Amino acid sequence: MNILELNDITKDYGSVKALKNVDMTLSNGEWLAIMGPSGSGKTTMMNIVGCMDKPTSGTVMLDGTNISEVSAKNLTNIRRDKIGLIFQQFHLIGYLTALENIMVAQYYHSMPDEGEALKALERVGLRERAKHLPSQLSGGEQQRVCIARALINYPMLILADEPTGNLDETNEQIVMDIFRQLHRDGSSIIVVTHDPEIAEEAERTVVLEHGKVTRNTKNAVAGSRGGDEKNV
Amino acid sequence: MFLRMLRGALFRQKGKMLMIAITIALGASLATAMLNVMLDVGDKVNRELKAYGANINVLPKGASLLGDLYGVQDGTGVSDRYLNEDELPLIKTIFWAFNIVDFAPYFETDARLTDVAGAADSGGDGPSSRGDEIALIGTWFDHHLDLPTGESLDTGIRNMKSWWDVSGEWASDDDADGAMVGAQVAERLGVSIGDTITVEEDGRAKSLTVRGVFDAGGNEDDRIYVPLAVAQELAGKPGAVSSVEVSALTTPDNELSRKAAQDPNSLSIKEWETWYCTAYVSAICYQIEEVVSDSVAKPIRQVAESEGAILEKTQFLMLLITILSLVGSALGISNLVTVSVMERSREIGLLKAVGAHNSSVMGLVLTEVLITAAAGGAVGYFAGLGFAQVIGHSVFGSGIDIRPVVIPLVAILVFIVTLAGSVPSIRMLLSLRPAEVLHGR
Ligand SMILES: Nc1ncnc2c1ncn2[C@@H]1O[C@H](COP(=O)(O)OP(=O)(O)OP(=O)(O)O)[C@@H](O)[C@H]1O
Ligand SMILES: [Mg+2]
Repeated sequence: MNILELNDITKDYGSVKALKNVDMTLSNGEWLAIMGPSGSGKTTMMNIVGCMDKPTSGTVMLDGTNISEVSAKNLTNIRRDKIGLIFQQFHLIGYLTALENIMVAQYYHSMPDEGEALKALERVGLRERAKHLPSQLSGGEQQRVCIARALINYPMLILADEPTGNLDETNEQIVMDIFRQLHRDGSSIIVVTHDPEIAEEAERTVVLEHGKVTRNTKNAVAGSRGGDEKNV
Repeated sequence: MFLRMLRGALFRQKGKMLMIAITIALGASLATAMLNVMLDVGDKVNRELKAYGANINVLPKGASLLGDLYGVQDGTGVSDRYLNEDELPLIKTIFWAFNIVDFAPYFETDARLTDVAGAADSGGDGPSSRGDEIALIGTWFDHHLDLPTGESLDTGIRNMKSWWDVSGEWASDDDADGAMVGAQVAERLGVSIGDTITVEEDGRAKSLTVRGVFDAGGNEDDRIYVPLAVAQELAGKPGAVSSVEVSALTTPDNELSRKAAQDPNSLSIKEWETWYCTAYVSAICYQIEEVVSDSVAKPIRQVAESEGAILEKTQFLMLLITILSLVGSALGISNLVTVSVMERSREIGLLKAVGAHNSSVMGLVLTEVLITAAAGGAVGYFAGLGFAQVIGHSVFGSGIDIRPVVIPLVAILVFIVTLAGSVPSIRMLLSLRPAEVLHGR
């Protein structure tokens, strides 16, 4: 069953066509990697899927709802309830501790629950750093807090835009371990990356170029069903 | 959680919040100082202006007519008409009694000088001025009055003639032998404090001891002031008063009051009521005439008019400064909050991304700013009280009364100014789209 379907999506920024007639699907529990050169529209696509932006034309079905027709306020609600966002720059709130940064997401979702938030930190191996401010954490640790925050409300879809772009090899591996674990637990994940090694960890890779999907392939390693390469 | 976020925002970004608090504190302190001074300045300016003396002169009907006809200022010896001393306390019972600050009666008589004796060189005669006529004025120095209304009042020239330069001491109403001597008289007679002057009128003699010598800078300096009863007795006219000077707080004149001053009967009933119930100098004069029989009360124009005008101008100036200082701090706040929101645009975008609606982000930012403003406002209030005292002492030479009403006023002003100052940043915050700030490099 597909939890996400993009149909003929176009996004214009004035004269710039960031996305052109994009079709894409994601099935439940699938791990998808998006690759492509800079400016090819990866982030634009993530914003549309993540309910942060609307396409100029086309329809986006997320969990059975056509989010291209929903009001801004309801978009916020859908994002809050269904999407976990992980950013390249982490975007932790500087004056809140690691724990509080996670609780903020709970607060706007439903109810802050310190115990739950601590468990989430434990999952990313940072339980003992709960009381630290972001400035007291390394980049990798901050990214793990960001991941913990994205996971705290059990989103049906995790969107990560270059999650390891700012991390060194070691931290990259730690983060990838978390993704693998999430995938094993059945989460649906979309990861934007420039790193082919990371893309290979996913089950499928979509390549964007100049706002168009130029490749949509199952990856050999993860995909036991074999590659059904199709060029667009 | 809201509280934890607030606490984090307030305590972990002290620098920014401190700047906002300081801006508010500055504005609030100016507003506090100006409002306190403004509310108190009425009294202060009035007290200053009162130093220029009375603004209403009450004369017996006939005397004032003569005075008007012949241009005689104070009908000394001209008239044999008098006001009744017993009616004077009624002046403090008129509709605008509260605006009557002070008043003093005068009984003027000419006495003959029979002897001058120095206290130190006892028996030594003064210059050859014995036998001269001398103007003797009976008055209240600091007279205690029990009013028919049950209130009491201390009034007299001691309050009204604050510019008199007195050496020695003020004479007292209870001291029947005491007198105050004008500087010119003292010089002419060669008397000084402690000396005795003997005067005589119609065979009645009276010895007076000089308690004080005053320099008024006017023709008062050529007179001797004694308690009212002493002068009346010497002239054989108990209870008689030649004139009364009244110092009253008045509203500046306008068309209505000028019309009324010409002829109160020309007013319509409604106009008349408005006039009567406004503290115009003409209305107060009219009311004094109502209670003191056969009297004519006349404003001493210039002082009466300028008093209200100066007061209004001063208060207007204060108001202007208050408004400008508040506008200034509103601009300051608007800058600071806008910068702070800009700096935090990613944080705000993030909050929106994790599900915060515009209203809750706005609530958070406004609460932060308002708490900061409240702290700054409180500090500013107390600093402002200090300012007010500094202004009071440097401008008026006395402290400023603290008005509690300023507290809610300043609180409301700080609230409004802070909200107004936050408007641009709130608008920015509302239009901020998380997609644009979160993926920026
Ligand atoms: N808000 C915007 N206004 C105007 N043009 C935009 C806006 N956002 C993106 N674009 C343009 O749309 C195109 C796609 O941008 P996008 O950010 O999706 O690229 P990307 O694939 O994420 O690139 P990168 O790998 O550098 O992150 C670019 O040409 C970009 O300049
Ligand atoms: Mg991008």
